[in-house]
Order: sequence, then C-alpha cells, then structure tokens
Amino acid sequence: MEVLDLDHAGLVAGVLDGDRRAIARMLTLFDDASPGSREAAGSLAAHAGRALVVGITGVPGAGKSTLVNALLGAWLERGHKVAILAIDPSSPISGGAVLGDRIRMGEHGSHPNAFIRSFSARGELGGLSRATRAAVDCFDAAGFDRVIVETVGAGQSETAITAMADTRVVLCPPGLGDGIQAIKAGILEIADVLAVSKADLPRAGETAHELREMLTLRRANPDQAWKTRVMLVSAPEMKGIAELIEAVEEHGRVNGHGRRLKSPALDIRQGHGTLENSGDADVWRERLSALTERDGLCATLGISVVAGGPGRAEVAMTVDARHMNFNGGCHGGTIFALADAAFGLASNSHGALASGIDAHITFQVGVRPGDRLIARAYEYSRSKRIGVYRTEVLRIEKENKETPVSAFTGTVYIKQ
Amino acid sequence: MTAKDFRPRVLVTKIGLDGHDRGSRIVAAACRDAGMEVVYTPPWQSIPAVVKLALEEDVDVIGISSLATDHLIVPKLMAALREAGLDRVRVVVGGIVPDNEQPQLFQSGVRQIFHPGTTLDEITTQISTYASEARLAAAETGV
Ligand SMILES: Nc1nc2c(ncn2[C@@H]2O[C@H](COP(=O)(O)OP(=O)(O)OP(=O)(O)O)[C@@H](O)[C@H]2O)c(=O)[nH]1
Repeated sequence: MEVLDLDHAGLVAGVLDGDRRAIARMLTLFDDASPGSREAAGSLAAHAGRALVVGITGVPGAGKSTLVNALLGAWLERGHKVAILAIDPSSPISGGAVLGDRIRMGEHGSHPNAFIRSFSARGELGGLSRATRAAVDCFDAAGFDRVIVETVGAGQSETAITAMADTRVVLCPPGLGDGIQAIKAGILEIADVLAVSKADLPRAGETAHELREMLTLRRANPDQAWKTRVMLVSAPEMKGIAELIEAVEEHGRVNGHGRRLKSPALDIRQGHGTLENSGDADVWRERLSALTERDGLCATLGISVVAGGPGRAEVAMTVDARHMNFNGGCHGGTIFALADAAFGLASNSHGALASGIDAHITFQVGVRPGDRLIARAYEYSRSKRIGVYRTEVLRIEKENKETPVSAFTGTVYIKQ
Repeated sequence: MTAKDFRPRVLVTKIGLDGHDRGSRIVAAACRDAGMEVVYTPPWQSIPAVVKLALEEDVDVIGISSLATDHLIVPKLMAALREAGLDRVRVVVGGIVPDNEQPQLFQSGVRQIFHPGTTLDEITTQISTYASEARLAAAETGV
C-alpha cells in the first residue's frame, strides 16, 4: 500500500474513532476522487466487514425514501447505529443536483445514532460505484453496524450494486407497468429481497404474485444458499417493515456481513487481493470492460472484453480496413495491440499495478478484413515482482473453430 | 485546491418560525443550475438539525433564507456551528434584514446578506466563491 499523506492518515484515524466530522470530510474526498482518497479507502476497507449493508433500489417513485426512513426508525429503535447514503441523480446539463431532501424530511434524521449523507450521481457509473463503495466501507469502519444505500435502479449495473451492498432489496411499486420496467432494467436478477411497496394500495398483492411467478421462471442457480423472497411493505403504516428487517438480517446471517468486500470494486487498483475470491464471470467481464473503456487504444481499434478471471483475460475485435498494412494484410501492430490488451488486463487483474517491461510475438497466418480475432492471455508465472503472461491470438472460423494466428509472451514488473 | 472534481456543496435552509420557502426554492434551483450540489430542507428547521445536517453533508456554504422578523436566531446558529467545529462553513443570509440588525449578523460571522433585488447570478457567483474558500480552509486544516 502507498504511504498516506499526513492529513489523510489523520482523517483515517478520525474515522476509525467514529469522529463524525472526519467521516463527513472523508466522504467528500471520495466523492471528489481527491488525490490520496483511494489509498485512504483501502486502509478503511481493511477495517470494514462488521456492518450489514443493504442496498435499496427501485424505479423513481417506488417509495424508496419512505422505506429507508421506516428502516432507519426501526433499526434506531433496536439500538443500531445507522448510516444512510442516498444517491440522487444530477442534472445532465449543469452537473448540479438537489440532494437527499426526501429522507431529510423524515423524523429520524436528528437521532444521534443516525448519519445521513447524499451523493450525486455524476454521470460516470464507475466513479460513482467507487465512491459509494468507499463511503460504505468508511461507515462500516467508523462503527455503523447498519448501512443503507439508496439508489435509483435504472442504469446501475449488477456489479456496482453487488460491490456496494451485502443485501440487495429491490422495491417495486404496485402495477404491472412498473414491474416490467424493473425487470427490463435487469434489477430483478440481483434482488435478494423483492419488496412490493405501497401494500395498502389495491394492486400490490397482484404485483407480488406476478413477481413470484417470474422468479420461478428464472434460471435456477444451484449454488444459491439464498432464495429470493417476495414481500409486501407499507411504509407509512409500518406494515411489513419488521418482516423485511428480519429477511434482510437473515440474509446477512446466511451470507455473512461484508459479502460486498469479496466482490471486486470497479477499479482494478482497489482490489486489495480480494479479486481472487470472486468466481463470478459476469463480474469479471464487467470489471475488465470498465478498464478497456478507459483505454484509448482499445476504443480506437474496437477491442472489447469477452471474459476474464484472476490472471486471465480474453478480448476480441473484428478486423476492418483501418487495421490493414500497405500490402493489404492485417497490420502486425494490430495483432500485437490485441494480444497486448489481453496481456495488460490479465497481468493487472490481481489488483496490483503491473507495467509491461518486455513483450514479443510470432505471426503464423495472414488476417483479412472481416476476420474475427480473439486474444486469450493467461498467467504463466508470477512472483512478488515479476509476472510472465502468454497470449494466444486466434482467428474464429466457421462453427467457432479457432485457427492460431500469433503467440505472444509478455513480462510485467509488479509495483507493490 | 487539489481535488480534481470539486463541486460546491451548499445547504439552503430556513430556521425558526418562518414558513415561506419560495425564495429558498428559487435559490436552491439556481445553485443547482450553476453546477452546485444543493441540500435543501423544508422550513422550520431547528438549529441542532441544521448543524447536524451541515456536518454530515460536509457543506461548504449555508444559505439561510429569512423573511421573518427574528433574524437574531442567526447568531445563535453561528455559535452552534462553531461549537460543532464547523468554523470553515461560510454562512450567507438572504432576505429583508433591517439596517440596525445587520451589524449583529456580521459580527457573528455571517459573510454576506443578500437583500431583495440581488440577482440570482450575483448570489450564485458569491456562493461559489465562498464555497471555494471553505474548501481551501478544509484542505488546510485537514477536516
Ligand atoms: N400509499 C402509499 N404511498 C406510499 C408508500 N410509500 C411511499 N408512498 C408514496 O409514494 C411517493 C413516492 O415515495 P418516495 O419514497 O419519495 O419514492 P422514491 O422511490 O424515493 O422516489 P424517488 O426519490 O423519486 O426515486 C410518495 O408520494 C410517497 O408518499 C406506501 O407504502 N403507501
């Protein structure tokens, strides 16, 4: 880990002490992605893992804020220290935002064991997820044992929500239209608990029934220790709140608090070795995709991520006229770039920064416009400082047969 | 200022018995449109509630809209902010403040009073200047 500058070390100590001003300031540093904030996030994450972190998501108007208030009240009453992070969309024009007003209107905000903070979604999903994850870990490390993250569901990726919450509650308002919208946004898939809000309204029971049916149609996951529950809640009447809390806490007991810590944060350098624990293919693909999106050359050449894992990456591209050399064949540099992209992702997948120091390549067969190429990199050896990676470049033929195009070997120096 | 993505955080609120919030809504919207992050509260906030909120949201500026006659609640807020260690937070007041009450507000630490007729542009420009000052102060003290 890098050395913290003095101020941040002081702030980290303040947060660990539960100093509210230090917590508030730290959250701003995360929100602004200030220099040194990543290192601070790393030190705080090392102290996190006790809190139960609940993500509440749902379409606008689903009743999230109302529910968050009800949960806050119920948990405070049971003697918990509760932190809330409310994420509000910012204006696409000015970037400004009006934040957190709905929860603030609730009655529990002034309780000394409550801490309410709002973040604005500043467009870039990766950045927000990073800041949110860091904020959640900060609350956890500061001694809040219940943390609620409220987000607007649409547009949030599965990885983002998994990386920031241990238990995920998706709130669906009554009525088929909204239900279908929720499913389209893909948030049904990630729910540990599906709560139908406004149970006092006539169509709530019907919506719960539809959701249960949809769950039974969903592809079964044999590894799942937890079966998604469907529940009805009515926040103003406090109906179903105790049951929801029971379900959330049970989920926490079954999966263990701090599940989120095992899922990779979106930034590869924040992994702190936890990546190895993740076997989730979608998580890996998204994580590596987030990196290639920031990679100018990958964007220019049209290279995308197919799959990944610890020490592994597979990327693909379709060759076109832009990739040719003056003889009309595919430029060697194009193929090198593709192999190098896979090499870079595989060697950086462990969370430590790895810089290439040597690479070479062979060319076996010619490549034409329209050809689909993939590059698969895997770890050949890795010590504390040096990693060696092999990458195969293959041309995809009919019926998915693969023809070897190039063999690439690269060496990285690993920065500690 | 080193943060690469600094956005002023502003609390727009009303304390005390004053229930008119049209003015503060307009100012909140103007601040948002000027790219700030605004925490907006309904009227009738208590001083401890405002202090807690300002602390948790780590705001740079508090804008208090005040049309009521009891402006002298503002110095009480200033004292409470200092007590909570929030000296860096800049406070501005908007509304009709009688001439003879102004010195007391300024003495308590209020940076500026926006009188009726001040343009929204002027208000948002000033608020964002105060916000930068407050951030600098935060960077210097560490908290
Ligand atoms: N009848 C009924 N209305 C509810 C219930 N919960 C929330 N509402 C109402 O639904 C509306 C939206 O509630 P919010 O809690 O603001 O919903 P939200 O999901 O936070 O909305 P956004 O902040 O816009 O994303 C409000 O008018 C609430 O009063 C409920 O259990 N029953």
